[in-house]
Amino acid sequence: MDGRMRLLSRPISLLTAVLGLGCGGVVSAEVASLAAEPAVIRLEAGAQASFLITGRHADGSESDATAAVQLTGADPAIAVIEGEGVVRAKAPGRTVLVAESAGQRVELPIEVAAAPQQPPSFVRDVLPHLGKAGCSAAACHARAEGQNGFKLSVFSFDPKSDHHQIVHGARGRRVFPSDPGESLLLLKAAGMVPHEGGERIARDSDAWRLLTRWIASGMEYAAKDEPVLDRLAVLPSERRYRKGASQRLVVHAHYSDGSVRDVTSLAGFYSSEKQIATVSDNGRISIDQVSGQAVVVARYMGKVSGSQVVVPSDRVLPPEAYAGLPVRNFIDELAYARFRQIGLLPSAPCSDAEFLRRASLDAIGILPTADEAKQFLADVDPEKRRKAVERLLAHPRYADHWAAKFADLFRPNPDRVGVKSVYLLDQWLRESFRQNKPWDQLTREILLTQGNTHRHGPAVVYRDRREPAELTTMFSQLFLGVRLDCAKCHHHPNEKWSQEDFYRMAAFFAPLRQKGGGISAPISGGNETFFVVAEAKLNHPVTGEVMLPQPPDGPRAELEGRRDPREALVAWILREDNPFFAKAIANRIWSHFFARGIVDPVDDFRLSNPPSHPLLLDALAAEVVRSKYDLKALMRTIMNSHLYQLGSEPNETNMGDSRNFSRYYRRRMGAEMMADAVADVTGVPTDYPGLPPGGRAAQAWTYKIESRTMDAFGRPNSSSDCPCERNMKPAISQALHLMNADSLQAKLSSTAEQATLQRLASGSQTPAEVVTELYFLCYGRPPAAEELAAATGGFGSDPAQRRQAIEDVCWALINSAEFVFNH
Amino acid sequence: MGIHRNCDGRLRRDFLQLGLRGALGLGMCDLLRLQATAAAPQAAGRPVNCIMIWLDGGPSHFETFDPKPEAPEDIRGVFKTVPTTVPGVHFSEPVTKLAGVFDKFTVVRSICHKDPNHGGGNHYMMTGAPTPVPVGCGAFVTFHPSMGSMVSHTRGVQQGIPPYMATPSNTRSGGPNFLGGEHAPFVIPGYPNSDGFRVSDVVLPQGIAEGRMKTRRELRLALDRMKRTADRLAEDPAVEFDRFYEQGFDLVSSSAAQAAFDIHREDAKVREKYGRTDMGQRFLLARRLVEAGVSWVTVNWGGWDHHGSLADAYKGEQLKTLDQGVSALITDLSERGLLDSTLVLLLGEFGRTPKINPGGGRDHWPHAMSVLMAGAGIPGGQIVGATDARGYYASENVYRPEDFAASVYTKMGIDPHQKLETSAGRPVSLVNDGRLIRELFV
Repeated sequence: MDGRMRLLSRPISLLTAVLGLGCGGVVSAEVASLAAEPAVIRLEAGAQASFLITGRHADGSESDATAAVQLTGADPAIAVIEGEGVVRAKAPGRTVLVAESAGQRVELPIEVAAAPQQPPSFVRDVLPHLGKAGCSAAACHARAEGQNGFKLSVFSFDPKSDHHQIVHGARGRRVFPSDPGESLLLLKAAGMVPHEGGERIARDSDAWRLLTRWIASGMEYAAKDEPVLDRLAVLPSERRYRKGASQRLVVHAHYSDGSVRDVTSLAGFYSSEKQIATVSDNGRISIDQVSGQAVVVARYMGKVSGSQVVVPSDRVLPPEAYAGLPVRNFIDELAYARFRQIGLLPSAPCSDAEFLRRASLDAIGILPTADEAKQFLADVDPEKRRKAVERLLAHPRYADHWAAKFADLFRPNPDRVGVKSVYLLDQWLRESFRQNKPWDQLTREILLTQGNTHRHGPAVVYRDRREPAELTTMFSQLFLGVRLDCAKCHHHPNEKWSQEDFYRMAAFFAPLRQKGGGISAPISGGNETFFVVAEAKLNHPVTGEVMLPQPPDGPRAELEGRRDPREALVAWILREDNPFFAKAIANRIWSHFFARGIVDPVDDFRLSNPPSHPLLLDALAAEVVRSKYDLKALMRTIMNSHLYQLGSEPNETNMGDSRNFSRYYRRRMGAEMMADAVADVTGVPTDYPGLPPGGRAAQAWTYKIESRTMDAFGRPNSSSDCPCERNMKPAISQALHLMNADSLQAKLSSTAEQATLQRLASGSQTPAEVVTELYFLCYGRPPAAEELAAATGGFGSDPAQRRQAIEDVCWALINSAEFVFNH
Repeated sequence: MGIHRNCDGRLRRDFLQLGLRGALGLGMCDLLRLQATAAAPQAAGRPVNCIMIWLDGGPSHFETFDPKPEAPEDIRGVFKTVPTTVPGVHFSEPVTKLAGVFDKFTVVRSICHKDPNHGGGNHYMMTGAPTPVPVGCGAFVTFHPSMGSMVSHTRGVQQGIPPYMATPSNTRSGGPNFLGGEHAPFVIPGYPNSDGFRVSDVVLPQGIAEGRMKTRRELRLALDRMKRTADRLAEDPAVEFDRFYEQGFDLVSSSAAQAAFDIHREDAKVREKYGRTDMGQRFLLARRLVEAGVSWVTVNWGGWDHHGSLADAYKGEQLKTLDQGVSALITDLSERGLLDSTLVLLLGEFGRTPKINPGGGRDHWPHAMSVLMAGAGIPGGQIVGATDARGYYASENVYRPEDFAASVYTKMGIDPHQKLETSAGRPVSLVNDGRLIRELFV
């Protein structure tokens, strides 16, 4: 960045053309200056390094000018240009590279040190090449059973074993130190002898020469006191792009001795939003035609670093467009700020009827009754929406709805842990939501549980997830929003989490023991007591090292005076500055109301899956802490925001918005919701085996309770491990079920006294009144004139015909999108 | 993609429909449906469909397809052997009728694995993948998509018919796992031998005639007024839902499809041949379903875990039903010219212990099992592999569940070596290192 800059007085047509900025609609293509990165290129003779030349435009945007500038000045005896933005060092010395373009100029000093004397190291030098060539990819030699007898660890999580495989495996046939070029390792990799993977490392390439040198020099595992890789840095770390632009990345590895290596050619790359930016294997970003944000992540030997990509909208709306938007709370302020930034206009507000239906489904999982809907529409109180939110949050159905939602995260398979255990856990969860137990308390109760599975619900979690590793996977997803499970077996592919991180977290649960009747499927009727013993250890599965409890990204646990290390974990989780806990629950609750999380999937927080609106997520998390983890308080804030009360129809600016919540995203009713809605509308409850008479789907305590409706509408499969994936996609079985199910027809034609259609058919209401009643029941609104006309057309004077017409109208309303979707 | 393949007449008819519906304002849905149909893969000629008869608990190989008459009595059991249509090949007495139609199927005697638990063995044979952790005997587990779900995932819904069905219930590991709930089997419960038996959801509801459904459909057209956003950018789920409704209406208005689901329309003589038991009639229903275009039907039959009194059970109704029903199914498919396009599989999760236990039963034994495979070009009258003289271990041409799954997928026109991605983004092979059972592909 300290490269010299000069002001540019006139537009550069060359740059404009090269950068593709000449097309219409672009604000300004003027390049004000050039900049070079890194400030100085330092490398060893024989090595190569990448650099960036950046054009800065008058409008503040920047673009990659490396290919467009003329490069001169470097002493070819010291360094030469080798491809776009790459220099190769020839001999020790100093020289200066000059980049010029139409009068603009920037200098880039190069310092070449002598070639290294020490032999290459397997860990530091060889493994990265095997990774980049794809040898240690999961599809090749890192498959569980290896490939053709040669097995490497996936993402090089076990370098000792990899070293052994290469040096000693196949009875030493893979390497041939007296003539390294004849080593099977190289012959195969270069495709010189038949190799299913083809040519992976070209003969005489850098990788080839390094491997040759390594074999010749004695195949060292690691040098004595070898510096350790500390972190990665990616250039540019953040940039705003124009549509269609492209940008090369440079990746630097920083080591514990302060040294820095250019590892651009050895790093892997990954884009979080492929419709916004894609990235090639060699680190070139291509920006597409969609505005928004993305992160391009570079990974190298278990470390990751991101380059933030911002593609502003080329359609900036005038401030007046946002002037009339109501601001109810901080959610609106932050959301509108984002809308202005990226040129989105929120959809029109939803109607009162839509609001009440949506709020009821989201907060308590049921449709408003016809009377509630009528009263709400007739109410002239300007505060009626706010009051409705209060009523809903205090509603007796609240607890079942939220307990059922959270049960997806906890609920074990009764075949595995036993019916009584599953039931107890379920009842504990329901009671927790009935009390509006603060989330920190609920978390503490689960994390610190000891006791018996037939007495104490949360103990059942431990009966199901019996090993420290299983608890680690579950709790890190649930409470921290972090998926550590990849790191159980190997380094996380696009995150920094290592096996050490995983097993340090697992070590918190090492002292947990159980006594009593263990798992004995399919009944598992026994009960167990869980308790903590002193001094239990957990070993790293590969290195055997004893792992001391430490949370991911957290400090080593203080165990002084604590018998149960889990207390230290809880203390860390509940610190106000915990980087995960409040955000994870805020995001989870948000996603229940907005159909997707600010981070989505909600339990997958990572650098390469950034929040769509970081400030909003921070503010929600702060609100959670401020309200002492009161979930209802957070829901109240969300539901009272104007953002939550937007309509679901897109306008022309937000059609493609699926991340910024500029409209309400439609989603299908969930399994329990649909089953209960059909029963409520028809006034004919469903009898569920395992539930008391009059029981509701939202009260089902296991996914094994028989229900074709819930199966069709995608409740989790109780046989899955874990049964926690809920299918929210439309499927043919749903349409077929609503159209044709005998069970639904039986509800429509029921002659039971309390059945809605029986009441309407046998009553004296006019056809218009009947249809209006059905509309209120299904949609929470009266029919429009055309709807009324169409729906009353089939009513005759004959009672049988009247009954049939009522059934058909109700069938048609239930089989329509307005019913099936929460909108 | 596949449009030109479907040419002869079909394309033209679809376009005529499109025109008509277009006038009714339904054009786009049909266009989507057309695309969905066109994208579905089709083997040369008819697509191959599969009927899998799953004997949950694990049938004995000794008392069915791999008798050991020379073995000591505590191994060979009480049954005599019976000759088959192939000289020199003998089956055990309980499958006498199957022995009579052996010219139409292959028996693989040498499939084996190492999981002696019902939960794990079930998973291994049903998905081609072992469970990553040991699971108990009573376990119903899924860690990997079942073959039926994968077929559903590959072929998609055609003419409104769910591609994967199971009757009378889903099998333990027959779920879709990460492929998603829309690839769970469509389950047909109930007792098809009873007069009141009906298949629900894919036919008009009870008491609703076709004309009434037409009224309802028109009413729905008039009343379903929520605005859809057709632009794909908007990701409006209601648009996809409409597509399924169109298919659903096609299904209930197709008299051929409706007839297929109605087992009462079957010729009484044919029904007799399968045996007038619920299980026998399920085999018949399975035939009607694949005829109607269902890609995979699993008939799930529990009660094959004979730890005691095995001989009594195998002398009784259970084996009679199996022997009669499966031989009738294979014969019937063959006579209708459907065997070439229908793969028939008969298996459980493992074989049974060679030594009869003190209770007269046989226990779990994954080291050897016999699997019947017919149709889809599989040769008739063929024995593949062998177990040792006493039936302990698969000893010749030994195959693993991975090889079985790879062979089934290949018969179904699905590449067994393809990579799938789990919902967490982890790459997995559909079948890990499965080699084809080459005798099935001659």
